[in-house]
Amino acid sequence: MAIDLDRCTGCQACVAACHAENNLPLSDPESAAKGRAFHWIRVDRYYEGEFPSIRVKHMPVLCQQCDEAPCEPVCPVYATYRNDEGLNVQVYNRCVGTRYCANNCPYSVRFFNWFDPVWPEPLPLQHNPDVSIRMTGVMEKCTFCIQRIQRAERDAASEHRQVADGEIQPACVQSCPAEAMTFGDLNDPESKVSRLAASGRATRLLEELGTKSKVFYLERSE
Amino acid sequence: MERRSFFKILSSVSAGVAASSCSNKTDTLIPLLVSNTEIVPGEEQWHPSVCSECSAGCGVIVRVMEGERTVERQGHKFRERIAAIKKIEGNPLDPVSGGRLCARGQSAVQSLYHPDRVTAPMRRKGTRGTAEFVPVSWDEAIDAVSRSLNIQQSADPGKILFLTRPESGSRSATIQNFLSALNAPPPLTCSLASFAVERKASEVVFGWRGVPVYNLARARYVLGVGADFLGGWVSPVYYARQFGEFRRGRPGVRGRFIQAESRMSLTAASADEWLPLLPGSEPEFLTAVTRLLLDARLARDPEQLPPAVLNSIKSADVASLARICGLNVNRLERITRDLGESDAPLVISGASSPNTNSLHAVAAAHYLNALLGNIGRPGGILAPNQDLSPLPLVGSVSEKLKASNFLLLDYQNPVYSLPAAAGARETLSQLEMIVSFSPFIDDSSAYADWILPDHHALETAQAVVPAVAPGSAITVGLPFIRPLYDTRALDQTLVAIAHKMGKSLEPVTPERYVKSLLPPDQTWDQVACRGGLWQEAPKPVGNEVPRVAEAQAAHSEIAVSPDLARFPFYFQPYLSLQFHDGSGANLPWMQELPDPVSSAMWNIPVEIDPQSAARLDIRTGDWVRVQSPYSSFEAPAYVYPAAIPGVVSMAIGDGHQHYGRYASGRGANPIEILAPVLEPSTGTLALGGTRVQIARLDRAPAGFVQFSPRDREQGPWGYR
Repeated sequence: MAIDLDRCTGCQACVAACHAENNLPLSDPESAAKGRAFHWIRVDRYYEGEFPSIRVKHMPVLCQQCDEAPCEPVCPVYATYRNDEGLNVQVYNRCVGTRYCANNCPYSVRFFNWFDPVWPEPLPLQHNPDVSIRMTGVMEKCTFCIQRIQRAERDAASEHRQVADGEIQPACVQSCPAEAMTFGDLNDPESKVSRLAASGRATRLLEELGTKSKVFYLERSE
Repeated sequence: MERRSFFKILSSVSAGVAASSCSNKTDTLIPLLVSNTEIVPGEEQWHPSVCSECSAGCGVIVRVMEGERTVERQGHKFRERIAAIKKIEGNPLDPVSGGRLCARGQSAVQSLYHPDRVTAPMRRKGTRGTAEFVPVSWDEAIDAVSRSLNIQQSADPGKILFLTRPESGSRSATIQNFLSALNAPPPLTCSLASFAVERKASEVVFGWRGVPVYNLARARYVLGVGADFLGGWVSPVYYARQFGEFRRGRPGVRGRFIQAESRMSLTAASADEWLPLLPGSEPEFLTAVTRLLLDARLARDPEQLPPAVLNSIKSADVASLARICGLNVNRLERITRDLGESDAPLVISGASSPNTNSLHAVAAAHYLNALLGNIGRPGGILAPNQDLSPLPLVGSVSEKLKASNFLLLDYQNPVYSLPAAAGARETLSQLEMIVSFSPFIDDSSAYADWILPDHHALETAQAVVPAVAPGSAITVGLPFIRPLYDTRALDQTLVAIAHKMGKSLEPVTPERYVKSLLPPDQTWDQVACRGGLWQEAPKPVGNEVPRVAEAQAAHSEIAVSPDLARFPFYFQPYLSLQFHDGSGANLPWMQELPDPVSSAMWNIPVEIDPQSAARLDIRTGDWVRVQSPYSSFEAPAYVYPAAIPGVVSMAIGDGHQHYGRYASGRGANPIEILAPVLEPSTGTLALGGTRVQIARLDRAPAGFVQFSPRDREQGPWGYR
């Protein structure tokens, strides 16, 4: 994935899209005060300088899908591992809730279910049937909308063709009004995301940690 | 268009329309009301519709799949399978949303499935304002309402007041027909998101009806003044899309963007440079820039301006104007030069926080654009999507409320959106009759005698004219799910009431609304299938520029409270992207969406600058009392490093007494303490016209929740 910070306006359409797509538990003021609110993708804001020449910068942060993921080696039950496509996936029914992975994630993008989620009726009618609902004691995080990836791959296979570049769009990418986010195959050097990642503007978040993350941020120009 | 989106549209077969041009992948035609048995588990359908969360009128597509709900019949609870809405995305065919959608629009599904919706017509039980109701039958409700409306109508139809959304479309056309059948005055709106000042300025200067379209995507140098167009302004999705194009959509060209605004908004944060303007100094700023442009001989078309305007600009003193704005003259000169020398300059102006002089500000920006020669050109100001039916007027709602006897409320909440000093609560408790069509019991519906709940927008048929669109556009949505409760579409209710009163009224259906405008090569079925009727943008007018007329010769003073020593702070409530005019506060996703500025969840803080905060010993999370000459409220403070010293801001949204479980009793309403001062030309409430004082309260900092602490390294690390 590539995120163009020059296009991003910080509007948080991606955050709402993620909630709608992935059945994220609802928080309430009390649980939020205890740091138990869920946002698989968040928009961080940074202040540079002081008034009047201050700059406010927005940066969407989601699971960086690291190749050298700090969350993986600490899981005692292999609930978090990298799949064949390089996605850092979480197997909910393996997770025993040690929370070591969240502790080890430098990006703070993992969320623990301290309680079973509650939705007053009839809000559950909105739930996406493609995504399972997580229960107490389970860690969860951004999946790059794996259900959308699988759907696109299945559709392509049934039509005997390759998945086209840009055909797969996670919910955040799909919703972004400024088209700041691009999703695609980093193994394909011709894909749009590969070209953006290879452009001089691309950096990775906390690159010095050597996580080899797969989200590229295109810097904001002056 | 992306391949996936293309399939989505192809596979959406619209409500009851047996259109040959639409075909489903599985070739099933979906009837008007999807019966439970026709929903195939695991199979998705996408239907076009309209987003009704704000007046931008984005076209959307809606994902429908099987869902289960619990129903109770004769004392037995059981599970019922129904067609349920899973997700809302932008309609890729719609020129406004272009397949994208904001956070608020995506949350519309939560207002549909909100646990606190009004499920049936209701009659007031307790005293007004206590929100105690008993369910009644539709027949009883319609009977009673039409009887008393009949009495009022024969006595004095002028005392019937209908408040509705600032929206133009089939629904508002039905309302207007209903009122004219009754000889009652046309509907009004009290929404804070009517953008009446912007409409008025475009009418006065250019003779256009509607909010002008700024062709940001093709501009190269943009000066924004007072319009938070990426935040809670007229059409956030449309302008965010344009902004992306403006920045990185053209090979080798990156548009440069300067924002002059009295608050570091989302828009100002996205700018290359922010000019912090003191609230209400926008006309002075624009006059100074215009004068400098003329002095530098960079005006392309000085003949465009009416002579009176030109003379008043020529007599302006830049140094004193810059001092009023709180800006440096050299900086203004540099920006003016860059603007004047650019290939495609554009000034985007609006009144996100209207002041009493806002009409003058927006008009001054139009003059500046005329001098830059960009009117009707690519990268300039384009003519608006002309409103097809007159929009509800804004004009001094509190006066009209006092003068009326019979009030009809359609998604309007005067108790919330008028200052306490306007006395809406007292007026509402004294009115003879109040009927609300709202699907939620809000602060004003709590005073209603009858609630005749409307369907949710996604359950009803409507055609909406988007507030901003390239070319002419009507967005159409038809129902594709069964209404969840015993509610009725507003037009049905109005027709039933009119018939009971012996008046004839035909509802304006979307089909009727669109049909008169259909070009010969399109059919209604096609329009319904695609979700709207969109026609090419009118050709750039070339040298033919609309007349530029004079707005107001004199600057109107901005109203401030007299006692500046006691009330030293400017106070400006603003429309945020998530809550807009406050109507988004009942949606849990919006409540837990971290505020883009403070990262606050479930509570909106007061933004104060670091210097003033240090002087008053206020830290982030402390509770403060904000006191105006009229009223006061208490809220947590957020020390905002980018706030202008002496200017206190707060998003509108919290402070509802009644508005469902997620909003009731939460936080404070910034409108409440405002001076009841109106922008004179439109009657819009001047959000920026009040001064306040602030004091820290001796109360333990609690209740202020941030998702990300200001500096992540200092905050609790990895506590999730």
